[in-house]
Amino acid sequence: MNATIAAQMTGADILKLRKKRGILIWSLVLALAPILIYFIAAVIEHASNPGKYGPAGGLRNFSDGMRVIALLFGPLAALLIGVEAGTGDSAAGVFRDLVVTGRSRLALFASRVPAALAVTFAMMLGAYVILLIGTFAFASGLPTPSGSLILNGLGFLLLSTGMMCVVAVGFAALTTSKPGAIIALIAWLVVASPVLANIEGLGGVRDGLLSQATAHFSPVDTGGGHGATVTMAGGTAFVVLLAWVLIFLALGAWRTRTMDA
Amino acid sequence: MSAIDHSPPLPNGDSTGTAIQTTGLTKRFGERAAIDSVDLQVPRGSAFGFLGPNGAGKTTMIRMLLGLTRASAGSMSVLGHPVPSERAEALARVGAIVEEPRFHPQLSGRENLRIVAAARGPQTQARIVPALRRVGLSERADEKVKKYSLGMRQRLGVARCLLADPLLLILDEPTNGLDPGGIQEFREMIRDMVEQEGRTIFISSHLLDEVEKICDHAAIVDRGKILMQGAISELAEGGARHELIVGADDVERALAVLDGCPQAQQTRRSEGNLHVVLALDADSSVAECSAAINSTLVAAGLAVFRLEPVRQSLEQRFLEVTSRLSDTPAEEVAA
Repeated sequence: MNATIAAQMTGADILKLRKKRGILIWSLVLALAPILIYFIAAVIEHASNPGKYGPAGGLRNFSDGMRVIALLFGPLAALLIGVEAGTGDSAAGVFRDLVVTGRSRLALFASRVPAALAVTFAMMLGAYVILLIGTFAFASGLPTPSGSLILNGLGFLLLSTGMMCVVAVGFAALTTSKPGAIIALIAWLVVASPVLANIEGLGGVRDGLLSQATAHFSPVDTGGGHGATVTMAGGTAFVVLLAWVLIFLALGAWRTRTMDA
Repeated sequence: MSAIDHSPPLPNGDSTGTAIQTTGLTKRFGERAAIDSVDLQVPRGSAFGFLGPNGAGKTTMIRMLLGLTRASAGSMSVLGHPVPSERAEALARVGAIVEEPRFHPQLSGRENLRIVAAARGPQTQARIVPALRRVGLSERADEKVKKYSLGMRQRLGVARCLLADPLLLILDEPTNGLDPGGIQEFREMIRDMVEQEGRTIFISSHLLDEVEKICDHAAIVDRGKILMQGAISELAEGGARHELIVGADDVERALAVLDGCPQAQQTRRSEGNLHVVLALDADSSVAECSAAINSTLVAAGLAVFRLEPVRQSLEQRFLEVTSRLSDTPAEEVAA
């Protein structure tokens, strides 16, 4: 398969995702609404009681905003897009029609990944622009993030959401069930992963959690909650991320290659 | 189909001139054989009907040919390429509709074709407009598929097949859900593709009348076994009985005369005529037997005003062989 065909197939997968209005709207809501609400609430608080609540912008609110979009709502949006990309053809019943073209099943699976990432990243860029606008527009003399922090923040946001997106594509292709994959991944992201991260008795096992390995690369303090509670070496974090991606892509590809269409 | 851009045909690679060939093809689901040691030959440039009752194994057969599911045993080739080892080459010039045509409902007809064209390769994009025109969907191509009627979806399914500029089209129950006008239109399109464009069409159906009208070759399948295959005319005429309707001025006397006639195996009265089951052997044809019966009646002083061979329809043959199957072990029938 040459680059032209790969680009056309990715373009076709992007088209499918773009036109899936329900998923697109919910993903946009998850990506953009929390950061908008965050700033609106901070502005109202500051306006109502400036003595108690500081300005809505500045470095501290940038960090808080990063946590909102990079560690929780961004991955949720990425998850929805990834699951749609992983199951869209099967759910619509057109997977067999794509197999009948003679194109390899691995190629059909592989084209979904860049498509899902492209849509996810486009949304995250939108959310990040809102975060930066809020950070600078409402700073009121507070220190603002440096250029390198802004770039690192963007990189971290794309890493965090991209990881979840790729894992979701693979997991959804493995299960072939859209509702099942969404429920399982949300449960993992919102409930299981934070709970496991807080069980100190698990020791080094917690290094294997995707959220912990991702948070290692955060340029802002991730604190507790959904952020890192486990410290690990950079190399370990990198290997954990790589393992998550490779394992779920391999599982998704295996299932796509072997299932009855 | 002048609108479709024909690129040079693929190398045949198949000296027998068959579009599809299977040998001992078997698909088992646990203990049950959905397809049981099937040997099938589909001649190139023909409309081939794969005829069988519901649950006979038609769709399973198609799914194996297209590499959608694996065979348990046996071998198969499509357009001269073994499947699954050369699946990509085999399917490059194959269009197929399996069961019902499915699409992304949120996309337009044109966008759905773009999705498949992207997987088929860059040269395919140029075939989208001609394919839509060929099936009469140009005007509605930009509407979302969820607004399409079933007939429109069937036509869009055919357009999707045409993107491959197919040498072989495999259609699974293609007229399901079509109204009479749509069925007639579909028949004409299929015949055009075979007669004008030289494509091979493989149609699975449980509708005997449909297969008889569209196809020139057929195989009758039941319980995963091919019971008969060949040209439609041969299948229909290939039954155990050849009958003749005889009209004579004195039916009672004619009945008595034919009672001792060696060419008449069995004679009965029906609607003022006689129905005679011919006693054919290896050395005699229907025409010779009919002539002998006529001579016998005339020699007996009877005036014969009608001698008409009964044309067996495919439906009669189908019912004959499939009902025989229900009474007899499958191995015996196949043998």
